[in-house]
Amino acid sequence: MDLGIPYSQIILAAEQTIYMVFVSLAIGTIIAMIMAVTLVLTNDKGILKNKYVYAVLNTVINIVRSVPFIILMVFILPLTKEIVGTRVGTTAALVPLVTFIAPYLTRLFENSILEVDEGIVEAAQAMGASYFEVVWHFLLPEARGSLILSVTTGTIGLLGATAMAGAIGAGGVGDLALTYGYERLNFPLMLFTVVVLVVFVQIIQSFGNHFSSKVRNH
Amino acid sequence: MINFINISKTFTVKKQHIPALHDVSLQVQDGDIFGVIGFSGAGKSTLLRMVNALEKPTDGRIEVDGQDINTLPFSELRKVRKRIGMVFQQFNLLNSKTVYDNIAIPLVLNRVEKKDIQARVLELLDFVELSDKRNAYPAQLSGGQKQRVGIARALATNPSILLCDEATSALDPETTDSILRLLEKINDALNITILIVTHEIHVIQRICNKVAVMELGRVVEHGSVLDVFSNPKQNMTKKFVQTVIADKIPEGIIRVLQRDTRNYKIIKIRFLGENSSDNVLYHINKDFAVETNIVFASVNELQKTVLGIFTIQIIGSDPEIQKVIDYIQHHQLSWQEVTL
Repeated sequence: MDLGIPYSQIILAAEQTIYMVFVSLAIGTIIAMIMAVTLVLTNDKGILKNKYVYAVLNTVINIVRSVPFIILMVFILPLTKEIVGTRVGTTAALVPLVTFIAPYLTRLFENSILEVDEGIVEAAQAMGASYFEVVWHFLLPEARGSLILSVTTGTIGLLGATAMAGAIGAGGVGDLALTYGYERLNFPLMLFTVVVLVVFVQIIQSFGNHFSSKVRNH
Repeated sequence: MINFINISKTFTVKKQHIPALHDVSLQVQDGDIFGVIGFSGAGKSTLLRMVNALEKPTDGRIEVDGQDINTLPFSELRKVRKRIGMVFQQFNLLNSKTVYDNIAIPLVLNRVEKKDIQARVLELLDFVELSDKRNAYPAQLSGGQKQRVGIARALATNPSILLCDEATSALDPETTDSILRLLEKINDALNITILIVTHEIHVIQRICNKVAVMELGRVVEHGSVLDVFSNPKQNMTKKFVQTVIADKIPEGIIRVLQRDTRNYKIIKIRFLGENSSDNVLYHINKDFAVETNIVFASVNELQKTVLGIFTIQIIGSDPEIQKVIDYIQHHQLSWQEVTL
């Protein structure tokens, strides 16, 4: 099948997408985990209740989440330049992608952790667990199945966002579809990229469901 | 020893003050199985949770082995908590971990070496009779088995105190019994002081040696189970005790007594342990010019002591009845006159 562009270019685009998704996912997950745990511990029923920390973090997350990704991306260009030294390219896209996905994942993780029975925390405290131990040995293991699904949802959201990253020259499968498929009216290529994205999403979701049910079905 | 000294607690919810405990003072001695009973909302769980500072009093102090636990820095408090096991109504096991791992958690928190953890967990599994379930997950266990895991976990660090928050309230009667036997074994074999909070008087009757009865945040009556059960003073206590130790004259007999035109008095006598010498009744009949009629009787075992309650109708002249009462008093039996 002739897609009008060399295969090497398609493979490069796929690599760029995978690179953007997984690097920003890795960094975003770490940041989100820290923020989600902070929210849960400092909320009104939390064991480290602190309304100031909670209010500030909660508001910041809401503000960042209110900005559509395409606007967020250009809005924080100066920050991107500050961090990675350039405003364009695949690596430059990581900064807005992380900024976009971290608050989103934070909300998902927060919900996952809030699902854990309060009694578990109480049992942990009764055992003399430190705050870190409560999180590490009790909250996170108990929320694990739900957290895996949250990461899955986040990954798929991230995949969608990478398509827009083409706007700052990040490349990727989405960019391919827009510049070659849409602007050059190359319908076969357009169709191909859509199929590739659908397959990506299916694979990610299947993995997520599989691992989540594996830890949940006890 | 656990010493509650003038504990008061007020919860503040949405600027409203809700009193939960009012000036509670109690002492739990080493080796006790101390039961706190009351209806829900009486404040008993709040009181229990103060022992390991899951709840802090608004006023008053709690001393555990002489230490005021609310003045301890967090790191010291954690050490005290490790010496206090806790068992919950809803078990609070980690569903993501096996029975083995659940019991191992307190040891992992204590940085115990892996092979020592294994030895200890296997020993505990044996103690709670769950050795065959070591690789099961909580979801695969029955309520009673879950509670056994909860108890094993609470015992992992060799605590000197075990707190039971309605530990049997989610279980059926038969399972409750087996858990109570286990608690008794813990108290007996491991010499662990047990503080148990419950709304089931049956639990108190079955294993406790001391009891405190709570109502609306106050302790209305406390003492040894034997004393409180054989002679409940407060209405709340009577309500509870009557459900396990019947001492009410049945309605039908009351109607018969009301029609009785002879001169009589009705007296309730309590026999405890050794002085449950039934020949008291024999002597009353033999030595006095009265006729006796047992209108109600019950015999219960409490703390391996027999508690007998006899309600007798004494028929005769007033002076003779008075002689009988003097006789009962002379034998130092607890008695009271019953009015219909």
